[in-house]
Amino acid sequence: MSREILRPTCLKPGNKYCPGCMHSMSAKLIGQCLDELGITDKTIAVVAVGCSTMNLRQLDLDMVSCAHGRAPAVATGLKRTQPDTFMFVYQGDGDLASIGLAEIMCAANRGEHFTVIFANNSTYGMTGGQMAPTTLIGQKSTTSPRGRNAAVDGYPTHMCEILNTLQAPSYIVRCALNNPANIRKAKECIKKAFEYQLDGKAFSFVELLTNCPTNWGMAPLDTLKFMEENTIPAFPLGVFRDVEEGV
Amino acid sequence: MKNAIIFTGSGGQGVMSMGIMLAQSAVESGRHAVYLPSYGAEQRGGSAKCIVIIDKDEIVSPMAGSGGVLVAMNNMGYEKFINELEPGGVLLYDSTLLTMPIERDDITKIGIPADALALEVGSSKVANVIIIGALIALTGIVTQEEFQHSLDKKFASKSDAVRAMNAEALKRGMAAASQSK
Amino acid sequence: MAKVLMKGNEAVAEAAVRGGCRFFAGYPITPQSEIPEYLSGRLPEVGGVFVQGESEVASINMVYGAASSGVRAMTGSSGLGISLKAEGMSYLAGSHLPAVIVSVTRGGPGLGSIQPAQQDYLQVTKALGHGGFKYIVEAPHTVQEAVDLVYDAFELAERDRNPVFVVYDGCLGSVMEEVELPPMKELPERPDWAVGNFTDAPRARRMVSSIPGEVMLEKQNIASEKMYQRWAEEDARWEEFVVDDAEYVCFAYGMSARVCKYAINELRKEGIKLGLIRPITLYPFPKKALDNLDYNRVKAIIDVEMAIPCQMEDDIALQVMGRAPILKYAHSGGVTLKNEETTAAIRALIGGLNK
Repeated sequence: MSREILRPTCLKPGNKYCPGCMHSMSAKLIGQCLDELGITDKTIAVVAVGCSTMNLRQLDLDMVSCAHGRAPAVATGLKRTQPDTFMFVYQGDGDLASIGLAEIMCAANRGEHFTVIFANNSTYGMTGGQMAPTTLIGQKSTTSPRGRNAAVDGYPTHMCEILNTLQAPSYIVRCALNNPANIRKAKECIKKAFEYQLDGKAFSFVELLTNCPTNWGMAPLDTLKFMEENTIPAFPLGVFRDVEEGV
Repeated sequence: MKNAIIFTGSGGQGVMSMGIMLAQSAVESGRHAVYLPSYGAEQRGGSAKCIVIIDKDEIVSPMAGSGGVLVAMNNMGYEKFINELEPGGVLLYDSTLLTMPIERDDITKIGIPADALALEVGSSKVANVIIIGALIALTGIVTQEEFQHSLDKKFASKSDAVRAMNAEALKRGMAAASQSK
Repeated sequence: MAKVLMKGNEAVAEAAVRGGCRFFAGYPITPQSEIPEYLSGRLPEVGGVFVQGESEVASINMVYGAASSGVRAMTGSSGLGISLKAEGMSYLAGSHLPAVIVSVTRGGPGLGSIQPAQQDYLQVTKALGHGGFKYIVEAPHTVQEAVDLVYDAFELAERDRNPVFVVYDGCLGSVMEEVELPPMKELPERPDWAVGNFTDAPRARRMVSSIPGEVMLEKQNIASEKMYQRWAEEDARWEEFVVDDAEYVCFAYGMSARVCKYAINELRKEGIKLGLIRPITLYPFPKKALDNLDYNRVKAIIDVEMAIPCQMEDDIALQVMGRAPILKYAHSGGVTLKNEETTAAIRALIGGLNK
């Protein structure tokens, strides 16, 4: 079997992400899936606010940029008015799990027919590393300088588990991008989520655990170890919902 | 505004539908009409009020502060809105449910036992149609046929019995008003 | 077509459908709830989409999405919901998307009252949201005028790729009066800037975005300023009601203007030369109507609103420039103007002036 590393056709050269940031990895996986499914030229991407907004410069697709947290509502308006068009939403954790909590919950509950890719790096990257809804207990941030304290800050928000309480979604999965095996798995899951949408199945959701070397204050390689030892234990990987598999 | 009719009572008494049907029958018979409701925040049991203005000319403004006729379906409607009846105007009321003393002496008072008559006809739900019958007989604002047409439209999907009950209520109301004259 | 008796909000909803609206997202709020109630049944009949949004915020963003598809999209609310929509309204302007937004106004501030008021003039003309954008704001005073304005509002929005605002108080929303409904418009092709709507023909990628980079953003803001100046020249609309010989001129919009017309008809019988300037567009403000008055004849302008404090006063004063005193008569909070009371109040104001 020949092994090729293919650059997705929708990925523009160069990106503005920090060195070692996994946003560029998730963009590549998304692009590869679009190419493999042959839908790159017939896809709309809805991008949120945060580092994810930089997808506007990186992805060569029809794109809609919208307000912080509102992408699932915007995608609702888009998909309902062109139901045959493939579309995905790309949101970070501050965007999706904090300011946009109502929009993601209600879009999922309505069983909207689009896919949400959720990049969870447990921080607000773009604004400089403030505490996110997903920041780990004890993890320091610019607004939790002594580390997240459950007594006053509450606990990390587990979106897959919360969404799994709803009846409508067809696919809910959590993956991580910290090593090649997990990356391969993540790509399979993204592709499955996309295929479910193409098959006319309701709401599909892929959470990708990612990093933020800059705001975590770590070398990129150290973030991989941190994810292995801290992030993944706090956010267990796995398939929470798969209507085809009876999960 | 002399040509304003103010319908009052409680939510659930059909106060609003009286107003709508009257306005509809006026428009369908070639006159101009407006209907302006005002509600409290309650869904049920609060006071209900609407204004209907009927004229041969276009109605400049529906924002009547007073009217030449006040219809009071019960004590609540009377108590809350009697001050909106102009001097020399007509108070038409359901004498079964308006039991308070009526103190104004600058108005014409016409009581019709609408609720009691409605029960005779078959249901207290048609008390509003009985009052409209009386209003038509007293003012000639629309004819019996014109209002009957509105009733037929509203109850088109209902049973023959319901339609017959409403038609009978309209006649009874007209007859009751003629007796009270 | 024959005239039918229709409730303001329902007539507006039907006019929107006939004007080409094929998407509505909204949230229940008194006194506009009849609009989503009506459209939830009506839009599917014409192949349109109704979504009850989980919030005002989500609803305006659903409209943003539908407008990005190139579909004629609308939302509605009342002042307090419009406050929540401010973010989305700014994004619509920033991303150059057409849409129609209806506000059926009630008493405020805060939760205020569900009864009719006109306390959102400043909100819709000056403070729609962040970033200093403007919408054309139309203010009908009869159900028929509301129907006519909403019917053409989508084309107006598409002309400028900028949303159009239609504002009327709860009285007009709930009043039933005669209306002649216009015929169903033919839907245009989806525009060539809209995302998606793919065919097999290859084409360049499209983007809907309000983040074009600072240099381009400034260019766009300059273009917007020119557009607002063009509106001021070409799109300001107003009605003059017996102004030619008027010594006293009421200035009022929406239902308040109808109350003024009643007062004018009554007071003219008494020999008082009263007239009315009625803005049909609140923005652009009808500056010329006030500027063109003969102030040798006009002894006073009377600002009549269902808002306390009066909200148009500053805009009026900027045009009158001290050439006549500006008197005021108002109610607010859901206490509405009444024909007879307003007539008496204007008579007294004019009497006071001539003492």
